[in-house]
Amino acid sequence: MARYAMVIDTRKCSGCQSCTVACRVNNELPIDMIYNPVTTHGPIGKFPHVRMVHLPLLCMHCGNSPCVDACPTGASQQREDGIVWVEESKCVGCKTCIMVCPYGARVTNAKKGTVQKCNFCKDERVDQGKVPWCVQTCHQKARVFGDIEDKDSEVYRLVNTTKTTGRLLEELDTEPFVYYLY
Amino acid sequence: MSTKFDLEQEGVEVKKACCYFCHQNCGCLVYVKDGKILHFEGDTDYPTNTGGLCCRGNVNLIHLDHEARVNFPLKRKGEKGSGEWERITWEQAIDEIGTKLEEIRKQYGAEAVATAGGTSRTDDWARRRFMNLFGSPNGFHNSHLCWIPTFMIETAVYGWSPFEIDLGTSRCLVLWGQNPGISTLPEMSGVSALKAKGLKVIVIDPRFTETAAKADLWIPVRPGSDLALALAWINVIIYEGLADYEFVYEHCVGFDELTAHVEEFTPEWAEPLTGVSADIIREGARMYATNKPGNIQWGTAVDQIGKPAGATQHARAILRAITGNLDCPGADLLTGPSKEFVTDEEMELNEYLSEEQRAKQLGSDKFKLVTWPGYGRIAEITKKYWGKAPTAEWMCEAHPPSVYNAILTEDPYPVKALLVSATNPVNSYGESKKVLAALKALDLLITCDYWLTPTAMLSDYVLPMAGSFERPTITSTYGCSDFLMCSQRAIQPMYERHTDFEFWRDLGIRLGQKEHWPWETLEDAYFYRIKDLGYGVESYDEFVEFYRFHFPEREYFKYKERGGFATPSGKIEIYSSVLEELGYPPLPQYIPPVENEIDHPELAKEYPLVLTTGAGVMPFHHSEHFNIQELRFIRHEPHMEINPDTAAEYGIQEGDWVWIETRRGRIKQKASLTEGIRPGTVFTERGWWYPERDMRDPELGGCLESNANVLTSVADEDCDPMSGSWANRGLLCKIYKVQSSDRKEDK
Amino acid sequence: MSQKHETWGWMLAFDFFFAGMGAAMLLFAGIAELFVGSNLSTLGILAGAVFIACGAGLLVLELGRPFQALRVFMNPKAILTFGAWNMSIAIVAGLLLGTSWIELFPWFGIVGLRKILAILCVITGFIVATYPGVLLARHKSRPFWNGPGMMVLFLTSSLLTGLAAYIVCGWVSVAAPAVYALFPQLAAGLCAFQFVIWIGYLWIKSSGTTAREVAAVRRWTTGNYANPFRVGFMFLGTVVPLALFLIPNGVSIGIAGILAILGGLLMRNLVVYSGQDRTWLPGEEKYRSRLPHGDETFLQKVWTKQI
Repeated sequence: MARYAMVIDTRKCSGCQSCTVACRVNNELPIDMIYNPVTTHGPIGKFPHVRMVHLPLLCMHCGNSPCVDACPTGASQQREDGIVWVEESKCVGCKTCIMVCPYGARVTNAKKGTVQKCNFCKDERVDQGKVPWCVQTCHQKARVFGDIEDKDSEVYRLVNTTKTTGRLLEELDTEPFVYYLY
Repeated sequence: MSTKFDLEQEGVEVKKACCYFCHQNCGCLVYVKDGKILHFEGDTDYPTNTGGLCCRGNVNLIHLDHEARVNFPLKRKGEKGSGEWERITWEQAIDEIGTKLEEIRKQYGAEAVATAGGTSRTDDWARRRFMNLFGSPNGFHNSHLCWIPTFMIETAVYGWSPFEIDLGTSRCLVLWGQNPGISTLPEMSGVSALKAKGLKVIVIDPRFTETAAKADLWIPVRPGSDLALALAWINVIIYEGLADYEFVYEHCVGFDELTAHVEEFTPEWAEPLTGVSADIIREGARMYATNKPGNIQWGTAVDQIGKPAGATQHARAILRAITGNLDCPGADLLTGPSKEFVTDEEMELNEYLSEEQRAKQLGSDKFKLVTWPGYGRIAEITKKYWGKAPTAEWMCEAHPPSVYNAILTEDPYPVKALLVSATNPVNSYGESKKVLAALKALDLLITCDYWLTPTAMLSDYVLPMAGSFERPTITSTYGCSDFLMCSQRAIQPMYERHTDFEFWRDLGIRLGQKEHWPWETLEDAYFYRIKDLGYGVESYDEFVEFYRFHFPEREYFKYKERGGFATPSGKIEIYSSVLEELGYPPLPQYIPPVENEIDHPELAKEYPLVLTTGAGVMPFHHSEHFNIQELRFIRHEPHMEINPDTAAEYGIQEGDWVWIETRRGRIKQKASLTEGIRPGTVFTERGWWYPERDMRDPELGGCLESNANVLTSVADEDCDPMSGSWANRGLLCKIYKVQSSDRKEDK
Repeated sequence: MSQKHETWGWMLAFDFFFAGMGAAMLLFAGIAELFVGSNLSTLGILAGAVFIACGAGLLVLELGRPFQALRVFMNPKAILTFGAWNMSIAIVAGLLLGTSWIELFPWFGIVGLRKILAILCVITGFIVATYPGVLLARHKSRPFWNGPGMMVLFLTSSLLTGLAAYIVCGWVSVAAPAVYALFPQLAAGLCAFQFVIWIGYLWIKSSGTTAREVAAVRRWTTGNYANPFRVGFMFLGTVVPLALFLIPNGVSIGIAGILAILGGLLMRNLVVYSGQDRTWLPGEEKYRSRLPHGDETFLQKVWTKQI
């Protein structure tokens, strides 16, 4: 069985936000919903000695996902391949998952009253053997998607050969499956 | 199986189209059935974008059938700017416009008809062809602000512009006033990949841009002072013995004069002028000169600094020459024009414009480089050497501010009609208030556009244009590359939209130019251009489907085989005889920023801060896309950038609305405090207007409210004497907080 | 569209408050029934059940899809599901227990039933009084909530407001002697305890283990919550009632009860809203602050299509 993961190379990301738009347009999200913001950290320091990092965010498809545990209806689920998703018909919009998610990865759909989130474009892309939209659209190839249990995969290689690899808020024991290279 | 659409169903065709929102023209695969687009994505086989699409690329289908698009020819019904339109047929539009143009030509001469263009997202050879046949020399673009003066200076010095950078084996890349991290994303991906392999990257920019954040060295130069930096670099390279003497002695003329000329331009001399420490200046010069081969990538910034622009471009050109970073592997390549396909210039029929009419080209008496005097001379030289000339549409333009002046003052002669194609001059040309007044003063204003922009709102006719996916596209770097990349239409234009080619052709035929417009469709015209490439194809579409690209084999050291360079002396003319002939200094003389505290102390008292405008920000392009919610959401308000220390001096906090004022006027944008900009410098976003507001005159979508071009200067004395580029950067301004009383529309 | 919609709001705070208060009331009723065999106050028991029901009602209203509310019983692993079950049982048990003291109802005076109901009330009452605190405490990314302290704070406030509610009931109708004699003193004790543990809580957080916690507490000590917290909750909702509870006078004790209840309500609101302070990821706060709020003109614009 595969275990999907994403590697984001912040050394390459230039903060153009194309992934944000690609996600919104292709997943036909209402205008106020963003699954994958790209934040700008910095410029940090004092002119002219500054640095700046762009940080693409999305659902971390955690190994230990608090949202799935907290969902009172069972709408939040995790597939065997690690993809965390929301079964819309079951969601009552209690926002518990929004509150427990440390990554701000979940958003309410004001029209439907439900909570939605990144599901790695499972239906339209991953299950069709394609990469998620945010990965395809990235000119900088800053996002790499794949099966981290496959030793021949690019994600496995990047995570295991890059010295500067980190995950966000690892100390919360969520075991995120999105890795950042810096 | 996709749940949204079945792309494998019968009758689905995959079209190799391209995005048309900037001139990168990223490849797209478009799935079409029965003339309707089901789906599209970035083409992973396209060499530049390899499947990638930026923010704008992703909204192609939203753009294609957006509610606000102009879909039918419109004729003004009420007063100018009243927003009252009558829908007419194309036949009526062409006929009426043709009649009016004839009348104007009869009464005032052909030169009373001018055309304004925008970015190269039109088939401007067709426009030029029309204008040449019509007899007017007064076509113009924003090209003065975007590469064209650089191209012409470099062509004067080396015989062609070395815009083709051979990054693969390069060891150093200088990004001079360019921010590919936001503006040319496909290029940036190459840079970061190579950087990982050891490429040194130097970014010269007053702002700590997305690209500067990835650089090995950031040189935060004072806006408009690039010339001092370039001269100091030359000084360091020569006086520290870092020049490539073998190359210089064998292939260049004027090195000794240069050596004497730059003696005084030491890094210490440049330090107070550029605001960059002499050490950093030295470090940059050494990095470029010692990591060979290296590249200097062109950026728009230097084209937009006004008066010192030409000298700066010259000095920058010299840097390549003295380091030998020209036409060798890993350096900047002098490809020359294509010998194989029909270039844009060859489609223009420039020979049809008489000497008499050429001489009337507005601004050509003052600014000679990118008008007929300079272009004519350079074209003559390049034709002799390469057999071809640079594209006249771009490289040989009326001087836009001079045209707007002529409209307003009838000096030196009246200009009565303006045909605007793919631009919104109110927001895109310098000194917006003047431009706006000029547009209102015209007898006839025609706008070809996708949207009812502020300019379109003032027009007598607005014509609906075919855009992305609705037109075939040849991408060839303003018609100056030796390669081409081709894309096809995915669908025929929706509603009654036409390509600009059809517009110029129909208008031309109406005005008796029928014999000169043999191609019924744009595909026919394109086929004419590529048919001799030897691919054995029967149509343009067939070429796109089977080949799509034509990349000639890369040749290095062409000057060795060809016996020199395309200059009068056959050498690289550091000391430029062409510039001297035109009456300009043959070596770059130091010219300070357009407005500065040394030459204008009184001005600096009132306007103490340095202003830079004109840089692009995602997700917009020039003045486009403010009406597309999906993009606007990301950046819904204009922001000016300012260092926190400077902001504190003026009591300005993050998120405050701030007036930015120059001698020309004031605009407001929201404060963004950042350590990524030099203290004392203000950066404003370009292009802003508010399509959601009342679009009728005088509100015109708030087109002057946050529009950086209200601040810029087009005064003759602020323009580059060679090319006439006006000043978007290196100006002086003051700022103050917007009071709540004048904040009615700060949503 | 505004960011507020992305976090819990006042309805959930009211739910926590009502459910906590009601649950504590049932807990006390159950204890009285089991260990003393007395009825604290019929009105109080019924009010307890109704309060929990009010809380549950507000919880339903807070949902994005209220008509699908029954689905919250579905995931036994989720605390919210556990809480929902307990609230439901508590409401039924409370109503039955309360009505069993009213002659009108057929089950009036069945002592065995009352004992069973009392056991249910004690168990579910304790759980409902505690679980909101547990729920919040487990939010690792909400630094103000995270940690066992929140459990104690919520349970304390539930117990205090429960006692106060009985005192108020006793004020407006008849109640068992203990409500008049014992409860004010217990309430005063809890006020004192509440005062101390809140200071302790903030102090521990502010000298906390992570910078995030320190930042989260700043809102309470110097930020926009400082005044409501200090004046509203600590002084008027805790210290003043503490003093008034100790004055053996019906009116002052009644007022103390009301103040303590209002204090508890205020505190729940402050706590729930402080959940907005998620641990921001690098650059995230600025990013979100620059997004549109939802009322911008460009979002409202309707174009007329040319056809």
